Parts: sequence; structure tokens; C-alpha cells
Amino acid sequence: MVVGEVSSSVDLLVIGGGPGGYAAALNASRLGRKVSLVENRFMGGTCLNVGCIPSKALIEIADLAHLGSNTKDLGVKISTSVDMSKVNDHVKNLVTDLSNGVSFLLDKAEVDVINGTARFTRPNRVAVESEGGHLEHLEFRDAIVATGSSPMTLQNLPTNGKTVVDSETLLFQDSIPDQLTLVGGGYIGVELATVYAKLGSRVVIVESEEQLLPGFNKQLSKKLENGLRSLGIGICLGYKAVSFAGNELIIESDKESSSIPTDLVGVVAGRKPNSDTVNIVESGASLLSTGHVKVDSQRRATEHVFAIGDLTLGPALAHKATAEAKVAADVACGISNDFEPNCIPMVVFSDPQIVTVGIDPDIDQHSEMNLNSFRFPFSASSRAKTLGDESGFVNLVADEEGTIVGFQAIGKHVAELAGEAALAIETATSIDDLIGTIHAHPTMSETISEAALGVAGEPLHISGK
Amino acid sequence: MAFEFRLPDIGEGLEDAEIVTWYVSPGDVVERDQSLLEVLTDKASSELPSPVAGKVLKLSGQEGDRIKVGDVLIQIEELDPTPPRENTLQKNMEIEDTTQEKTVSNIEKQESFISVVPKVKASPATRKLARELSVDISLISGTGSSGRITNDDVRLAAESDERASQPPSPVVNIESSTPIQDRAGLGYMEPGEHNIKGVRGVIAKNMSAAWSEIPHIHSLDEVDASLLIDFRNRLKKVNRQGASKITPLSIIAAATVRALKKYPMMNGHVVGSPAEKIIIPPSVNLGIAVASDSGLLVPVISDANDIDIFELAERISELVELSRDNKISAHQMQGATFTITNYGSLGGRWALPVISLGQAGILGIGKIEERPVVHDGKVEARPTLPIVLGADHRLIDGDVSEAFKNSIMNDLLEPLNLLVTE
Repeated sequence: MVVGEVSSSVDLLVIGGGPGGYAAALNASRLGRKVSLVENRFMGGTCLNVGCIPSKALIEIADLAHLGSNTKDLGVKISTSVDMSKVNDHVKNLVTDLSNGVSFLLDKAEVDVINGTARFTRPNRVAVESEGGHLEHLEFRDAIVATGSSPMTLQNLPTNGKTVVDSETLLFQDSIPDQLTLVGGGYIGVELATVYAKLGSRVVIVESEEQLLPGFNKQLSKKLENGLRSLGIGICLGYKAVSFAGNELIIESDKESSSIPTDLVGVVAGRKPNSDTVNIVESGASLLSTGHVKVDSQRRATEHVFAIGDLTLGPALAHKATAEAKVAADVACGISNDFEPNCIPMVVFSDPQIVTVGIDPDIDQHSEMNLNSFRFPFSASSRAKTLGDESGFVNLVADEEGTIVGFQAIGKHVAELAGEAALAIETATSIDDLIGTIHAHPTMSETISEAALGVAGEPLHISGK
Repeated sequence: MAFEFRLPDIGEGLEDAEIVTWYVSPGDVVERDQSLLEVLTDKASSELPSPVAGKVLKLSGQEGDRIKVGDVLIQIEELDPTPPRENTLQKNMEIEDTTQEKTVSNIEKQESFISVVPKVKASPATRKLARELSVDISLISGTGSSGRITNDDVRLAAESDERASQPPSPVVNIESSTPIQDRAGLGYMEPGEHNIKGVRGVIAKNMSAAWSEIPHIHSLDEVDASLLIDFRNRLKKVNRQGASKITPLSIIAAATVRALKKYPMMNGHVVGSPAEKIIIPPSVNLGIAVASDSGLLVPVISDANDIDIFELAERISELVELSRDNKISAHQMQGATFTITNYGSLGGRWALPVISLGQAGILGIGKIEERPVVHDGKVEARPTLPIVLGADHRLIDGDVSEAFKNSIMNDLLEPLNLLVTE
């Protein structure tokens, strides 16, 4: 504490302007609080600026660039070329547009936006350092902390912004690298691999675990592996990246070491919570060994400090942060709420796409639950056939009472199925409810009701079980 | 290690019981022998004491649920000394910490977080309602499809929570036939829909089955009760155990037992629907219907054919008292072969009572009052007892029914018969 420091009082302080922070600010403002929001980089956070949104924009562009390779058998010949500077302009415009939209909403909600980096200095006080080193002290009644996460760095592969880069830099490349090696086969790695393989790079993924998407269902990751290999992506499982020098990435497994020639190395080894930079422990909050902030189901870290989003345990996903933002804002405003979802849907926009919602019996046995599941293959779906994708499947999981508790899908067009699956699981819908709901023909959503029929022992477009 | 308390066999041949009231909630610290819950079997309730001391981890059923004998009712973490209570926030965070830190040892592992077990079978809207009504939704079992918790389930739980939070009445230990009656008196029920459970549910089921299966015939009569009353007054003075318990009801019961011994068909019953066999039991087990705060209870005097009028009076008195105090147990209400129902005690004169399944008859007795009767060619005011015999016409024709009723009436007109032991 600086002797004689002068602080100004704020009612509800939100730290972070990402999907957690700005949603918390808008919610709390709507509930009558006077909200101040501190953001140190860009409104909309990682997701909107250097995460989900630009990556999905790039994925769409990569799909278009790659269109010709899929259409020959359909009687359509397409040749494409990519202008990366225009691609970047498009992505940047899109991001700016959305970011301005968030600022507009905050402005309309009369949220006081402060540009700067907040750091807790006392349980109810933060110091906000703005550009130029100006320091301002804010004393708050309640604070919602949503400072998100940052890409993990690897000691032996420090990023240099040019040849060794993180996921954020990979989203805005001036040119398409000839050779790109991604260190990390998690969802960020496989999405970026899909993008650059389709744009024409020779892509290799190095993953230290024995499967892509560690922690996911092995059958899904195996099928993904096949899909990525057919895009020409090289996959080295069970290898660790050791060093990079002279356009050679040295990798080693338990048994051997090897090298990969590459122009560019993308370090995509996961994300770590930004709990240290905001110094949240000074508020009285406790950290877990992972760096996450310990919170209760109401997202309280202390009586007056809430933590949400990537700061708390669970998948680092924007929609989780937004859901927690509502809980924290409600509770801070005296409305009872809990963050206890039945499921958090997870979508990987690789090619093929992957959706997983709720219980996956291949990951967790849950033998006490007497689960019953049915896999409906896209080879039996007329819509999948018209879309030219027969290789995927949906898998529906019900408990012994017939309540839907899990859903997994892989295929070119499965991302949008996450909604129906999440609704079913979150609202404890039964197999009979799904069967009794007429699904439009021909759509991919029909595969869900087909799988429900399968679970009920009444499969229609597939014989037997 | 959590102790699993399973539903013990608390009555003869009972397969299941209904959870009437939980006296504890998860997180509560209970002492050994502290009452955990009240269960209802057939028509009796029991309080089950905790066999261990510890902290309640989980209740395996909701009030109104039926639990099979041998199924886990409650999980209790056995504790030695009672630990100091932590504040809720700390406690919640500890729970989150230990459960999640185990599964997530490093950041990469976090992706395994994608497979989560749904916590509650209810829509977010229903969960919101539960929060608004301060109901712990994890304790509710749903009545919707596949056990889904509905808004009504939550509202009902909120109502019963409200009841539970009221100070318990010291004597009542059977749940009232509806959740409402003990609030605002006989016959009162709040507007709206109510689930049928507890004693009311049992009565509803049994009565419906009895009324639809048994073709009833009823025969109505009046008995001059002058000698009956005189007999009662004189017997009461006899120096013998049970004498003080003699009532008109016990005298009528003794006459009925005698008639049942004389006409065993009235003590039998038909099994199968519509009718397959006639069962004639070797002994007379006399049920006495008693109105209690919880509804109609029927304690049973078993082997009533082997006891004299004094012992009969004593046992009736004992069981009726237990019933009125709602302290009767399941085995004391099983196996009746014939029932006497005394609506006279409620002021009634005539009624057509319903025969219970497993019996062939029921004797209804009205209020003894002075009524005009013709005696020796003159109209006189004399105490009269209205009686009604209901019989199962599959088994009992009018001749048996009348002979049986006349046997009772004759004994009531000459109660000295009842002192004769055969």
C-alpha cells in the first residue's frame, strides 16, 4: 500500500471484457448496479479477438479454399486461390465489428469502461494501471473477476513472434506457411491444423499423449486422426517437442528422437488461467494448484469477489464463462443462482467436426448408472449422404430410466447438433420425448431421433443393434 | 467409509414402505438412535432410529417414495466427535476443491472435464423455481417422464418444507392423510391439486379395490339396548382384570365373535376376481375400525375366538387407544377376518360400510339413543342400537346374513350368553 493513496469508490467492478466479463457487466447493470469494467487489451476478450471468432472465420475461409478438392466427384470443378492480406482484412473487420458491438452494448448499459490493467491491492481495492503508467485506485463493493487465460508457453520453445508463435499469432499470418508444425494436439491444435492444411501448408501435429484431443473419447479422436491424415496432416503421437533450430524441430518419444523440417512452429499446448497478473490472492481468494481460483457454486471466491470463466475450473470455453457471468451477476445483485449445469457442450471445429455433450461412457464408465447408448452411423442418414459425408456418427446415451445424459458426434456438419443435445440433457429430456418430437427431413438433426429410436430398441433406418 | 442404512423388515411379510417424513437432511450430524425418518407400511408408521452416529451424506428417497426392504435409505458418514460446523461458503469451496482437484492434476487434463454427470433431472426453469422457493432440488424425486422433476414436484416439496419447518406436534407420529388436514381442521384442504399419498393413498387404493370387487349386500336393524347397557354397568363392577374396560363396543364385539364361531362362512373370504376360492381361516381375527387424526385405522384383535369378554375388552381398549394416539404398528393391523366399524361414536345412526378385501363381512354400529319403540303394545322411549351387517354376496346369501345378524342381536338382548364359555 502506498501511503496517502487516494481511491475512488465503485459499486460493482468487473475485471475483464471477455465473454465472461462483459456479460457480467451487462447483467449486473440490468439488475440496477452501477458497473465499472476494466479491460487491458480489447473488448470481447480472447474469444472474440484472438480465439473462437477469428479461428472460425479462418476455418470458413479454409473450407472455401479447399472446396475444389471435394467437388470433383460431384461434377463440379472449382479452382481457388487465397490472398492472405485480404483474408486478414476480412477477419480483422469482422472482429472489430463484433468488438464495437460489445462496446456499444456496454455504453448503452451505462457501464463505465476503464482501459487499464487491474491488480488487487487489498481485499476490496484494485490498482488500475493505464497506458503511460498512470495509476488509479478503485475501492469496490463487489467485484467479478474474469481475466481469462493465456496460451501456455513451453520453456524449450519460447515464442519469438516469427518462427515460433502462439495460437493468437497463428490466426493472423501474412502468408501461408509452407511447413507448419503444431506442438499440441488439443482442440486449438487440430482446428489450426485443419485451417492451414486446407490453405495448402504441409502441417504436422506433435502431441505428447497417445491420442489427439487428450481426454476425449478415443474412438472420436481416432476417427478425427483418420480425417486429418486424409487432409495430408502428419500426426506424431507420443512425442514431445524438444527444441527448434535451423528450421528443424527436434521431437522425442520414450524410445527415439526425430526431427521435423518446418518453417513455422505453433505452440498450442493449452491455456493457463490469468489469476497471477490480477493478483487475486490479495482479495483473500485461494488458488488451486492449477492456478485456478477456488470458488463455490455461486462463483464466490470471497464474500465480495466472484471469479468466472477460464479463471475457474472446467473447460476454458466462452459459453461457460457467459453462463457463469449470469450466475455471479445474479448473486452479486441478491438473486439466488448456482452454476450447476448438467452439461457444458464442447464443439471442435476440425474436419470432421466433433461434438461432445454430457456423459461419454467411453471416457467414464459410470457403471453404477446402467447407461444405454446407441450409435447411429451417417451411412444410414440421407441428409449426410446429400452433404457428401458418410463417415461420421452420432452416439446418444441414456440412463436406465431413459433420460438423455450424453451425446457424442463426429462428422462434417455436426457442430449445430450441439444445441439439441445440450437442451435435451440440460432439461432431462427422455428418449421417448426425443422420439415423440418430429425432426425435419432431411436434416442432420434426424440422426438424433434415429439414435433415440436405437436406444429404445426400435431402430428405423438401421437394422438391429 | 459411509454407513448405508437399509430399510429393515419392520413388519410381517412387508416388501416395501413409504417414506413419510425425513427428520434429517444431508449435512446433519445425527446421534446414535436419533430418529432418522418415519416410514409407513400398510397402515402403520414407524420411526427408524439411526444405528450409528455420524453425518448424513445422502437421502435415497423423497417423502412419498416407496422403498423396498433391503434398499439403502440413507448414507451416513460415521464420525466420532462432532466436528465443528464450518460456514457454508468455506464448506462448499472445500467440496469443490477436493472433488475437482483430484480429477484435474494439470491444465492439459482439463479437457477430460467434458464428460460430466448430470446432477439434477430438471430443466433450468424448474431449478430456478426451486431456488426461488428455497427447495433443495437434489432431494426431490420427479414424477415426470423418466423421473424428471416438474414444477409441481418443486411446489409440493416447498409446501412440505414449510410444514416441516413448523414446530412438530408432540403426539402425532403418523403423517396425516393429506398434508393439509393438520393445518386447518377436519375436511379442510387448500384449493388446487394434491398428490394422494400416505394413509390417504392406502385407504383410497384399498377402498376402491374392495368396492369394485365385492358385491355388497347390507341388512339394517335396531336392537333394544337396555339390557346391553345394564350388562355393561354390572360387568364393570366385577372384580376381574379387564372389567373396567368393558364398553358397549366390547360387548358387541364379543357377540360378533360368538356369531363368527357359529357361522364360519362369515369369518371367511373369497379370493380371486371375480371368485376362485373360499378361504375359511381357523381363527377369528377381529378388526375394529377407529377414526384417528390420520384417517381410518383398523387394529386387529387376533385369535379373538380364544379369549373371554374381559380380555377382549382389555385388548380392544388397548389397541383403540394406540390407534387414536397414532402409535399402532403394522403387525397390529394385519390379518383381520371380520371388521366392526363404530360410526356411532361419531354420532352416526345408519351407514352402509364397505367390506375390506380379504373379509366377507362388516358390522356397522350406530349411536345408542333413546328412540320410540313399541313395547307390550305401547310406544316407549328405549335405548336402541342401530346395526348394519354388510356381507360379500359372492359367499354370503341372505339366509346366512340374517342368521348371523340375528345371532348377534339375540346375544345383545340376552348378554348373559356372552359369559358362557364353550
